[in-house]
Amino acid sequence: MIDLNKRDIEKQSFSRRLLLIYFFFGLIFLILLFKTYSLQISSYSEYELAALKNKTKEVLVQPTRGVIYDRNGNILVNNVPTYDLIIQPSKIRNLDDFLSNISKIIELSAAEIENINKNFKRKANYNRELTIKKDLSNEEIAKFEVRSYQFQNAFIDVRYSRENKYPYLFSHALGYVGGLSNEEIQSILENQNLKQSETTFKYSGGFIGGKTGLENIYDSSLRGFFGKKLYEVDARGRLLKELSFKKPINGNNLFTNLDLNAQRKAFEKMANRRGAVVALELKSGSIVTYLSTPSFNANGLSNGMSSLEFNKLINDANKPFFDRAGQGRYSPASTIKPAIALFGIKEKIVDWNFTLKDPGYFVLPEDQRIYRGWKKGGHGTIGMKDAIIESSNTFFFSLAYKSNISDLINHLSEFGFGRNVCKDCFNPDSGLLPTPEWKMNNLNFGWFKGDTVNLGVGQGYMSATPVQLAYYSAFLAKKGNLQDLSFIKNDIINDSDFINNLKIDESDWNKIHSSMIGVIEDPKGTAKRLKPLKSYFVAAKSGTVELVSTETKEDYKLVRQNIGNRDHAIIIAFGPMPNPEYAVSVIIENGESGGSVAGPVAIAVLNELINE
Amino acid sequence: MKKKIDFKNFSIYFDQYLFIAITLLSVMGLFFLYSASQEDISTVAKQAIFVGFGLLLMFLVSQPDPDFYKTFSGLFLIFSLLLIFLTMIFGKEINGAKRWLDLGFFTLQSSEIIKISLPIFLSSYLYNKPLPISSKHTFISLILIGFIFALVARQPDLGTSLVVFMSGGYVLFLAGLSWRFIGSAAALFLLSLPFLWNNFLAPFQQKRILTYLNPDTDPYGTAWNITQSKIAIGSGGINGKGYQEGSQAHLDFLPETETDFIFAVIAEEFGFIGVCILLSVFFFILLRCLYLAFNARDRFCRLAIGGLSLVFASTLFINLAMVVGVVPVVGMPLPFISKGGSSLLSFYIAFGIIISMATHKKLMQR
Repeated sequence: MIDLNKRDIEKQSFSRRLLLIYFFFGLIFLILLFKTYSLQISSYSEYELAALKNKTKEVLVQPTRGVIYDRNGNILVNNVPTYDLIIQPSKIRNLDDFLSNISKIIELSAAEIENINKNFKRKANYNRELTIKKDLSNEEIAKFEVRSYQFQNAFIDVRYSRENKYPYLFSHALGYVGGLSNEEIQSILENQNLKQSETTFKYSGGFIGGKTGLENIYDSSLRGFFGKKLYEVDARGRLLKELSFKKPINGNNLFTNLDLNAQRKAFEKMANRRGAVVALELKSGSIVTYLSTPSFNANGLSNGMSSLEFNKLINDANKPFFDRAGQGRYSPASTIKPAIALFGIKEKIVDWNFTLKDPGYFVLPEDQRIYRGWKKGGHGTIGMKDAIIESSNTFFFSLAYKSNISDLINHLSEFGFGRNVCKDCFNPDSGLLPTPEWKMNNLNFGWFKGDTVNLGVGQGYMSATPVQLAYYSAFLAKKGNLQDLSFIKNDIINDSDFINNLKIDESDWNKIHSSMIGVIEDPKGTAKRLKPLKSYFVAAKSGTVELVSTETKEDYKLVRQNIGNRDHAIIIAFGPMPNPEYAVSVIIENGESGGSVAGPVAIAVLNELINE
Repeated sequence: MKKKIDFKNFSIYFDQYLFIAITLLSVMGLFFLYSASQEDISTVAKQAIFVGFGLLLMFLVSQPDPDFYKTFSGLFLIFSLLLIFLTMIFGKEINGAKRWLDLGFFTLQSSEIIKISLPIFLSSYLYNKPLPISSKHTFISLILIGFIFALVARQPDLGTSLVVFMSGGYVLFLAGLSWRFIGSAAALFLLSLPFLWNNFLAPFQQKRILTYLNPDTDPYGTAWNITQSKIAIGSGGINGKGYQEGSQAHLDFLPETETDFIFAVIAEEFGFIGVCILLSVFFFILLRCLYLAFNARDRFCRLAIGGLSLVFASTLFINLAMVVGVVPVVGMPLPFISKGGSSLLSFYIAFGIIISMATHKKLMQR
């Protein structure tokens, strides 16, 4: 009985304890069931996406970049298919072994090996492709394909390389393309509603974007829209099958109003001298020539060059990469005179009958300081027309002296000085239209009357880019009815739609034009040597940018022994007169004579444009 | 209903509930394994042989009277220990762990056997001791448990060694180990955790636990398994992706699909509904064991049924908890489903013994 009782107690204790564990296990069971529930039901969409991401790989497909044309339908920049050898750096353990193996089959140049060494690590980190050799020959392709099993992480693929067909002519105007950084690709994808979070773009290198020039400015239009291929992949990342293919939308072609022949002519005439040529079509206000020399091979930058070549260009004293046309700052010098003349007329400081005795210099009444003209002995008694034709400094010193500086500055800014006048230039410089405030803030000096006098002949602090000078030239040609410039042919708008604030009479514009025609046609004209170079009338104004101030010709002869001290040659021109179609500006650094050095280049470009 | 079928002088001992449930699980396991092994028929065929042999073994093991197991439990334990020692000497080393004994036709994981023989031995040892058990017997039992635990942990095999430890612990607990003792043991364990961490865990085991505690540190390294397992389960949703349609399993994202992570394959392909059906079979088996333990004929059978069924439950829960990411990754099969002969056979034996204990009645009890 006791024994039985004891057994019952023991059995009860056993049952209680077993139940306790079972209860505890039941709890665990519920927790696990709940955990499964939360994975499969509460977080289903999250994990479904994760599984989808696991098993699929999206590969970006770059659209074909738009072709760039000139105004006559000539292709300027094209896409050329090449067969490139591409590797996946993240999958290559030992680069040296790989290179020694691959170079037994395909020869790699020092530049190519350097490129590989430079980019390998970064591409591996980003899991991107690296093109190690471009444009393989048929023989190289065959050699590789036969042995491709030895190189699991390398393959040959067709890639389009960007080819500027005239790489020296258009290196600054059109610019070059280059590989996109990860951040750039991400922002592009976001703009194209291809969210990065939804995609795993691995091994998708080789995407290009415009870095400078029109390639950069019109990048988004030229680029088009990325497509994507969706592959099923296993855990090792092997592509199993293509699931879907969203085709890329190719980029838009870019129809510029550039003129290949005129550009080529300008390039020939510049003959690698340092300088720039910008020509405009007046009707459309568009750029037809945009040249900065010396130039460089845009394709070299687009498709890779050795760092040796690159360093050579970077360290070249002539600065071939520098876009003189859009970014070079030059004093307008005497080319400013027509604008000053119009100011004098408008403000009634002078009229066309006003004359002045030019002794060859101007004495500033305030401090008796002497401002010299270019011609010893001066131009004698001279009116405004002749002052333009002969480029009398004294006349314009005197005119500027009588001007209100702030009114003069407002007037000059109407002509495009001191502001960006181009809608689609790459990194355009605005030059400098100096004001008393500017001088105080930057040079910590007050504005002297002498500064105003200097402004009258375009010397001193004022500077402008060749693009601005071309705009100025066109502005004069179109009598102030000019919109901002563009490389694209704008819709032609009636001239009357452009209202300028100048309030200058038509007759005054015409007189300015005829004065400027006189610059070439008149026997006393500063650019009279250009007369035989053309068969029509051209309005022009030459200028000579003094880099070192000298008092006598003898002094200058000493100074000019150093080529870098020689004056810059500068000219603006438009024609054919009386109904001008094109305007041009030419700058030749240290070219000394606007009329006889820069002038022939301007006339040659106009000839090419007008006689075409 | 436990049954004793009489054929005149010959009796067959048989529990139809357990038998049907276990057979069902085994067949489901073969079905799942076909998909989990990437449709490898030879893997399934091999497993099918184990299942067939195992079911037969279970039937045979359930025939002798429980007294047979009581009498020979010491021998079983010595035999199991012998296997462990043999493994230590001749074992096959895989991934730095020496757990397997190559018998030519079969690779035996000796630790799987001892997790059955230890609770039976302890049940038998405590069978005729006065209850509640004295400190002396507690001490002796603990030394034995600790010794075997250390042997298995040294292989190293953290998961199985924990189950071995539990298998002994459950029996002691069910036999009435005092709460005071349990409390002080737990406190001692917690205090010695740093010591255990430094001296008993291999670097890879430490890494697994650290990864579990802080999975973001290493999403594509050690945490890969947990991450991929969760993705597999989660992406199964309610209905699953369909048989053989699990991308996680079939595109090799999921590790160990045939063994430790087979539950993730099932969850991916059959969804929450499939999981519930599978788990309800397990749940049924556990409830049946509870019933049988309550109605066992004597203390030995009670302790043994309790201990064995809890070993089974522990294996199940550790596997599930690991696969759903609740505990660190430890090598632990899903009973009757995962590929692997040793675990499979030892559970068939365990359930054979449970059936034996549940179906043999003691005349004197009547």
